[in-house]
Amino acid sequence: MLLRMLWQSLFEGRRRKALAALTVALSATLVTTLFALSVDVGDKMAREMKSYGSNIRVTPKSETMSLVVGGVDYNPLKDKETLAESDLWKIKDIFWRNNIVGLAPRLTAPVTVQVGGRDGAGKASVIGTYFDQRVPLPDDAQYRTGVRTINPFWEVAGAWPTEPDPDDTAAQVETVLVGAALAERLGVAAGDRLTLAPRGEGVTADPRSVTVSGVLRTGGPEDNAIVAPLALAQALTGLAGRVQAVDVSALTIPENELSSKARRDTGDLTAEQYDSWYCSAYVSSIAHQIEEAIVNAAARPVWQVAAGEGAVIGRIQTLLLVVSLAAVAAAAMGVSALMNTTILERAREIGLMKALGAAGWEIHALFLGEAGLVGLIGGAFGVLCGWGVAQAVGWGVFGSGVDMPLITIPIVLVISVLTVLVGSILPARTITRLHPVEVLHGRA
Amino acid sequence: MAPMDQLAVARTRDAADATPDARREVIGAEGLGRRFGTVEALVDVTFTVRQGDFLAIMGPSGSGKTTLLNILSLLDAPTSGSCRLDGIETATLSEADRVVIRREKVGLVFQTFHLIPYLSAVENVMLAQHYHSIADRDEAFAALERVGMGHRADHLPSQLSGGEQQRVCIARALINAPALILADEPTGNLDADNEARVMDLLDSLRHEGRTIVLVTHNPELGARADSILRLQHGRAV
Repeated sequence: MLLRMLWQSLFEGRRRKALAALTVALSATLVTTLFALSVDVGDKMAREMKSYGSNIRVTPKSETMSLVVGGVDYNPLKDKETLAESDLWKIKDIFWRNNIVGLAPRLTAPVTVQVGGRDGAGKASVIGTYFDQRVPLPDDAQYRTGVRTINPFWEVAGAWPTEPDPDDTAAQVETVLVGAALAERLGVAAGDRLTLAPRGEGVTADPRSVTVSGVLRTGGPEDNAIVAPLALAQALTGLAGRVQAVDVSALTIPENELSSKARRDTGDLTAEQYDSWYCSAYVSSIAHQIEEAIVNAAARPVWQVAAGEGAVIGRIQTLLLVVSLAAVAAAAMGVSALMNTTILERAREIGLMKALGAAGWEIHALFLGEAGLVGLIGGAFGVLCGWGVAQAVGWGVFGSGVDMPLITIPIVLVISVLTVLVGSILPARTITRLHPVEVLHGRA
Repeated sequence: MAPMDQLAVARTRDAADATPDARREVIGAEGLGRRFGTVEALVDVTFTVRQGDFLAIMGPSGSGKTTLLNILSLLDAPTSGSCRLDGIETATLSEADRVVIRREKVGLVFQTFHLIPYLSAVENVMLAQHYHSIADRDEAFAALERVGMGHRADHLPSQLSGGEQQRVCIARALINAPALILADEPTGNLDADNEARVMDLLDSLRHEGRTIVLVTHNPELGARADSILRLQHGRAV
């Protein structure tokens, strides 16, 4: 009987209930959207933050303690310690391989530059790297990576250089980029020919002639250098198959107390803490795994970038939580007002039920059941709308859809029902206080 | 004796006193009084209603009719005196106990019917069964047949005339076989034809041995009762 009453009374006072359902639906839409975004925003924002550069630098272990006095690097192992280019794929084969957005090696060669047929020459550095190089992986032979992936903010006036295929050992580098400041200093533009002669003690490589394919603007040291495919820098330095450093861009989660403790010394972690840290995408645990993958390599997080990412993402998630709570609170207040009016409108019905011998809980069950159903209907509608809005926001802001986890649906439905029930607490007190004699003997 | 024990004893006596001639006391009011602040709405009212009686409570507006009705229907409690309902002293019951006794012992008929608008006629009758014990559609339908409303059982109150709604209200009051039927101006909102039908119905219930207390200010209706309790300024006159 109670269920039958619940169902049939659901259609009583339809306008107010539709309004209450709409209020809940709006709140549920917002909560669904924000929940879906906050779950996905970590990845989305982290991916966006990757456009501001790499967050891990891998160098040979001996390179991590440099000794520079008066601009002269006194590192005794300099020029001897490098990393094998053939090991780079291992970075993309660690436990958190899917979080590695890209990588780009670096090898710097000091050169003397002669522009076309002009007299005189200038000094510069050639930074060899990958632009969009194919790096065969065990499970993906066509994987491509380079600075175009990890530094999408680099601007090139002209064309990107053409990189030789790694399988074609006879291929020669024909094109390079010239940093904007150096191009201005040398007076070169896209299409000019350069002759690059290695300089430095003990370097015997032949000069190389290349064409400037474009002028590069990064806002960093590359603006004063020639940026070329890695093979050219290797040829100019005589370090075939070697790199000095690797910049890695990885999707990470915000740092916390555990990762801070691990950063100080992983030996301080308990076995359980170590497992938890190792299996979380902290920038420090990813760096640790890179060191495990490449012998003699030191992977160091670029803390300014990593910390910045963590702080921004953490604040965004907090903001989304606060907005969600505000939406739920507003909905609860709106529903409370509507439920109060509904109960006052149905005072005679409540009085009659009491007069017929209904226990207080039976009347509360009816009205709170109605409220719960309204919340459920509004919540279901809100989930659908919220999914749509989340997709729209995802495409509009991040250029891709939002992966809404299925758990969002029951969570939002429960929140919606609870919102209405909380909003009905005060109106329900009206039921308790209402005395049948006050409403039943009113003359028509 | 605790109210629930009193109820159990009363039920046992129901079985023993099944014959209408037993004429057991259904209402025993002694020195009933009800004060609202400084206003004395009811003063020292004493009367007895036995099984099968048809009592009319009459008086002008403000005479205390509704106050007395509320006490008899256990919707309110007196501030002085005692009131036994079917052998149970109700004046000192808690609100929760009054709810239990009310649904066991009293059938209410209201002037404005008070049917639940989204329930059909038969469902409105079943609602009283539900709060009393278990809803039984067949029994509820039989109660509607008894008041000549079987053919309208599945209609909503909004699809029924005033007289039809009042007959559904009477069926609801009858469904749990209460010791007492309390009717508050049951024809107050009806036309002459429907007034006659409803009063005929109450008459037939009286002849079946039902105990009826009718509140009215209509002398013609009051004349159909076995006895009349007249109230003025809260006192029996």
